[in-house]
Amino acid sequence: MRLVDTDDEAAFRATLRQWLRDNLPAGVPHSWDTEQRRAWSRRLHTAGYAGITWPREHGGRGLSPSYQAVYAEESALAGAPDHVNVIGIGMVGPTLIRLGSPEQQQAFLPRILSGEVIFSQGFSEPDAGSDLASVRTLARRHPDGWVLDGEKVWSSYAHLADYCLLLARTDEAPTRHRGLTCFLLDMRAPGVQVRPLRQMSGDTDFNQILLDSVVVPADAVLGEVGAGWRVAMTTLAHERGTFGITLTSRLAAELGRLVETVRAVGASDCPIVRREIAQLHIEVQALRYTGYRALTALERTGTPGPESSVLKLRWSLANQRLATLAVRVLDGRPGTDDWYGYWRRQLLRSRTNTIEGGTSEILRGIVAERVLGLPRSH
Amino acid sequence: MNFASTAVQDELAEAALHYLTDRYPPARVAEFAEHGAHDVDAWPELVRQGWLDGDLGLVELALLAQANGTALHPVAWWSTMGAALPAYRAAGLEPPGTVSYGDGSSSCRARHDGATWRLDGHLRQVVDAGYAVELVVAATDGYGPALFTVRTDDPGVTLSAHDGLDPLRRSATVQLAGATGRLLLTGPAADAARVAGQRRAVVLACAEAVGVGQRALAMAIEHAQARVQFDRPIGSFQAVAHRLADSYADLELARSLVYRAAVAVADAEADGASGPTESVDDALACAEVSCPAAAVAACESAVQVFGGIGVTWEFPLHWWYRRALWLQSFHRARTDALATVADALLADSVTHRTTDR
Repeated sequence: MRLVDTDDEAAFRATLRQWLRDNLPAGVPHSWDTEQRRAWSRRLHTAGYAGITWPREHGGRGLSPSYQAVYAEESALAGAPDHVNVIGIGMVGPTLIRLGSPEQQQAFLPRILSGEVIFSQGFSEPDAGSDLASVRTLARRHPDGWVLDGEKVWSSYAHLADYCLLLARTDEAPTRHRGLTCFLLDMRAPGVQVRPLRQMSGDTDFNQILLDSVVVPADAVLGEVGAGWRVAMTTLAHERGTFGITLTSRLAAELGRLVETVRAVGASDCPIVRREIAQLHIEVQALRYTGYRALTALERTGTPGPESSVLKLRWSLANQRLATLAVRVLDGRPGTDDWYGYWRRQLLRSRTNTIEGGTSEILRGIVAERVLGLPRSH
Repeated sequence: MNFASTAVQDELAEAALHYLTDRYPPARVAEFAEHGAHDVDAWPELVRQGWLDGDLGLVELALLAQANGTALHPVAWWSTMGAALPAYRAAGLEPPGTVSYGDGSSSCRARHDGATWRLDGHLRQVVDAGYAVELVVAATDGYGPALFTVRTDDPGVTLSAHDGLDPLRRSATVQLAGATGRLLLTGPAADAARVAGQRRAVVLACAEAVGVGQRALAMAIEHAQARVQFDRPIGSFQAVAHRLADSYADLELARSLVYRAAVAVADAEADGASGPTESVDDALACAEVSCPAAAVAACESAVQVFGGIGVTWEFPLHWWYRRALWLQSFHRARTDALATVADALLADSVTHRTTDR
């Protein structure tokens, strides 16, 4: 076990850190608009920091996940934003590399890396929610390929997206997991309508996608017809790979900001604040080293270890506690810290954390059944 | 990145666990506990199996400590390997059997009486003193704290054991009245060995806590799979399953922190840095807060899952619960780890560091 980088990782970190210093705007903004994020993504791509773990033949750097982890840590520390095409690079790209046709790979992979084509993901539906297998969006055969009808919801970045990795039912199969197919949907096809969903934080990064007799070509099918469940699971597995490290790195940076806020408003002596901050720090360190354990398992065996299943569960709760504490610290002290608006928004946004990307209840169920071997719940 | 136990380390841990669970089924653990006794005959076997080998690193020792917690190993291994051992090793010696450590640096005086050292004073809370052949004693020799060994069968040594929550880990107050001391270390070497001993004791106790919680969780899982209520195994009820999933999450997070602490301490020792460094202190404090708490919570959840059975004397779970509570009070008595963390984070001169690098 090592607490420090290998020489190669350390060199990568040092170069990246310098690059971030040279390329991030002075006085990193609290939030980034879409145009700023697009510009940032182009810079990342030019510098070779998009697709760090993608194979070289598909335009990536072919590096192991630990380099992706270094990237996550350093970009969080520097206050850099997400890649605008975070779903394309982190989830859709790796799925295409694994299951896409050579034509699909050629058509999409370079443009995903460059940020030219932005992807969203259309798995969830109003009546499905956490029960992904009850997808009802229908795909029927058509002389030109398929016709899609239905409704998707909670699609991150769909308002910006050029394409959507979409799960639809192609066959009323005897079991619910069969008869599903994945499509690479052109969001500009006639019949596609995107409606932003405004959250309590005021953000509109989730969307509703309405599909009204949308014709998609036959070569828009990703993987085999009827094997959509496997494709979706491949995509979600990639979400859980190094994503835990990304979340934890951001949480660590947030805690750093909270410490600054506590100092700025003179709350450093409050015993309750001290206690809660210490507990959050311990939680961050615990998540961080658990992330490293999961990452080591991923590098050794190709799959993250069972401990990775706790990362998102505990991150979401810690993130909520952190934002709550920040607002409480600032409450009644308006104007003493210019991060107030940021923290207020974080508090409201973080409520989503225990729902998005697998609810806490679903995640506890996964731990109970798949890790602890408890019987299926009813 | 490389932050998981190696195949060789996993084998060591598995072999240890296999040996211990074979030799100490819960009924036998309960028997020792009922009589407040240790399996004193087991020591030669541990030596034979290499549990005291000098080439075991702190990560390996932590894995053995985890196995000890899982099995509730009724042997004074922790008191030997934790605070006491670094003093012997620094003096080029090996402990003569099970030993323990008594900090009398503020309450014990050492005087040189012609040919021998004589120790007077008292030592509080000497863990497993009743099973120790010798004690390492920090006593003031006129210049500062020096480390001595004292044989527990020396006529100048009187032990009074206390009743505690955990009969398998009892402490004693030790009176020294002209006890014969053998000088181990003085000056900076003694200080370094004391610091190393304290750090190791913390790491091994935290690892043991994870093992204790792990066993409680395993017992609860087994019960939740088998026990049927309302025509279903109770583990299929989310109220039960989710509670156990939370125990698992607590324990995995705690396990990561104790591995981190073990590596941080081992690295600091390898660098010859015995003084406090930020990352060692932080690593120890994080483990001290999270590991015993995770163990206590896992035991309490397990008791709840067992229902009425869980609160009976006959069912052995309470012996593990007692150890978890003991581990938590041991840490609280030693230091306020949360305050340590808060002081480091909110000190004005220190900016928050998110990485050790």
